[in-house]
Amino acid sequence: MSKTVTRTRLAAVAAAATLVALAGCSSSAPSDKASAASCTPAKGKVTLQYWNTVPGMDKVVDLWNKKNPDIQVQTKNISNDQYGTLGNALKAGKAPDLAQVGYDELPALRTQNAFVDASACSAATAAKSKFVPWTWSQTSFGGTGVFALPQDTGPMALYVRSDIFKKYDIAIPTTWDEYAAAAQKLHKADPSLDITFFDPNNAEWFNGLLWQNSAQMYSYSGDKWHVTVASDQSKQVADYWQKLIAGKLVRTDLANGSTQMYAAYQKDQIASYVGAAWGYSMFRDNLPKQSGKWSIVPMPTWGANGSSGDWGGSTVAFMKGSTHLYESVKFNTWLNSDPEALALENQLGGLYPAADAGLKLPALSKGVPYYNNEKVFDVFADSSRKIDTNFAWGPTQKTVNLALQDAMAKAAAGDGTLTDALSAAQAAALKSMKAQAIPATAGK
Amino acid sequence: MTDIAPRAVTSGGRRRPGGGGPRAGTVIAFLTPFFLPFVLFYLVPVGYALWQSFRVVRRTGGQYGTSYTTFGGFDQYTQVFQNSEFWNSIGRIGLFGIVQVPVMLFVALVMALLLDTPLLKLKAFFRITAFMPYAVPGVIAAIMWSYLYSPQLSPVVDLFQRIGLHPDFLGPGAVLWSAANVSTWLWTGYNMLIMYSALQSIPQELYEAAKIDGATNWTIAWRIKVPIIAPSIVLTTVFSIIGTLQLYAEPAVLRQISSNISSTFTPNMLAYAVASGNNYQQAAAISVVIAVITFVLSFGFMRLTSKKAGL
Repeated sequence: MSKTVTRTRLAAVAAAATLVALAGCSSSAPSDKASAASCTPAKGKVTLQYWNTVPGMDKVVDLWNKKNPDIQVQTKNISNDQYGTLGNALKAGKAPDLAQVGYDELPALRTQNAFVDASACSAATAAKSKFVPWTWSQTSFGGTGVFALPQDTGPMALYVRSDIFKKYDIAIPTTWDEYAAAAQKLHKADPSLDITFFDPNNAEWFNGLLWQNSAQMYSYSGDKWHVTVASDQSKQVADYWQKLIAGKLVRTDLANGSTQMYAAYQKDQIASYVGAAWGYSMFRDNLPKQSGKWSIVPMPTWGANGSSGDWGGSTVAFMKGSTHLYESVKFNTWLNSDPEALALENQLGGLYPAADAGLKLPALSKGVPYYNNEKVFDVFADSSRKIDTNFAWGPTQKTVNLALQDAMAKAAAGDGTLTDALSAAQAAALKSMKAQAIPATAGK
Repeated sequence: MTDIAPRAVTSGGRRRPGGGGPRAGTVIAFLTPFFLPFVLFYLVPVGYALWQSFRVVRRTGGQYGTSYTTFGGFDQYTQVFQNSEFWNSIGRIGLFGIVQVPVMLFVALVMALLLDTPLLKLKAFFRITAFMPYAVPGVIAAIMWSYLYSPQLSPVVDLFQRIGLHPDFLGPGAVLWSAANVSTWLWTGYNMLIMYSALQSIPQELYEAAKIDGATNWTIAWRIKVPIIAPSIVLTTVFSIIGTLQLYAEPAVLRQISSNISSTFTPNMLAYAVASGNNYQQAAAISVVIAVITFVLSFGFMRLTSKKAGL
């Protein structure tokens, strides 16, 4: 046989293999079949899969496994590429029973049909009373379903260098107006000192600020999404920070959590930090020399609106395809509301609990030495209860966040304003929803 | 790197006359280890991307209903061509390539020629030193450089500040060139080595003849060495064009510390950002367009230079 023939045949085999592979990838025909979840306990031993991103979670699960020989849980840490791993598993039909999902990614994953509604289990609906109100409205999408149970939260507060404020005789600000005035005073007293930094590449943080001002970025009614990312409330926040940036009263060259950021704090160049509950250990561990100099006070408010914002936190979602809903609910409820589990998660993973019972943990009721033995968790608990329950994330949040960041970075570099950035985010939201055939319209 | 001396190896086409060629089984046995991964990890993904790029997402049962994909013609491609971010990213790396590639290859050529002169001592040392950055993974190199660029941590910036200068390596105008610098640092030694290997294969008699004719070292370098190694210079240029169009690691790492690198800074970063937003069809179309542009530019360059370079 000549070489050419063989080569042709091999090429044909290759082409055929490609076609077979492509056929295997083709999407299934659309079906409207709603997966009616049933909540019957399994007979005999059950093994659940739980994918998460929390350090030390395997130890918490060990505790459960010891107590529950009939419901064994296996964990897998997917912090390397959380949503990539989940998305691929969903496409392959190999999703776990339970998975860690951030609040802001819940609508996106639900749009991809990732969840099962656990409200068929009475234990799931009954869990509502165990959690801080805003977290439940996120996991139920403001309705009656139960798609996830809240795990941890990031209620926001203001970290302040009380020594610096005292040195320049400036009162700790309680409103954003006072904060802006303090920014001016600090900068005047020492030109190399700024009140804080604005990280243009941190949409999650900025969203927390918008949330605080009751900005409704999305709502769902009449079978479609109403996109109001660039609302008046959002613009008020954008204008405020735009003025601080334009007046060179805040730094814009630092990324949150970066070595550079800590270096700036270390050199006493920045006097405060608008942060979340989980940040308390960041400062303690990265700036040990500033022990005793930091205080945590409530986030500055927008005048009469005394509400607070959330930055981060996540849920444990009931994933589609799970055949053990009853057991999943049982484990999930224990994991996120049992004081023993919450204490361990707080100790090992630094989680700030979403469960009301968690806010009263002994570890969270004590004074923290780094913060002058102040009971800083009282501030966060108070903040958590003041978070707007009507806030909703969009189904293409990741894309919107990227667009917002890109435009905020331009604004920080003097090209456009933060209000322009909101418009860019609004446009990106509508465009990305259209690309995914999600019905959406601009405005209320 | 077998392409370096193409004329030396491409003579194996002739076979024994008459029957008795290799049996099909043998051929398959030898080729399978190559073909199987090639099909599975190259042809299939490329085919899948191509197929995806012609699909659009549709949905039944409202927002939380079921989504599916259907044939969308050139819909995704129309969106790519209408996407100003895409063209901005192409323009950005176009500028990057026009400046960075010639600078890098010129430096590589000069270094290769220097290594090839009999005047230089400690050749092995210089060769290894110049090549060493290539052994550093691109991401690590970018992290390393990001410390040198950072105004908070960099000793370099610190030195500049002591003499009253305030360079901002991460500023809106400078950051592209800071990324270019990392690429240059990483790849100059690699390109130098390809050119140096080509120089090594030039027979010494040519130089002796040239010297007898009165050529200086300078003339030998520019009139004899450079024209002879032109094929390797073309090759390194093509590699560099491909590398530029696929630029990802350096800017993606610098993005961690500079907001002046957007999520759509390079075409590959744009494709990644779009894919992470679950829009795989659009990401596939972007990738196909990048691939086509890469093919056109590299083969176009090869055609343009093939006569001169004697390829």
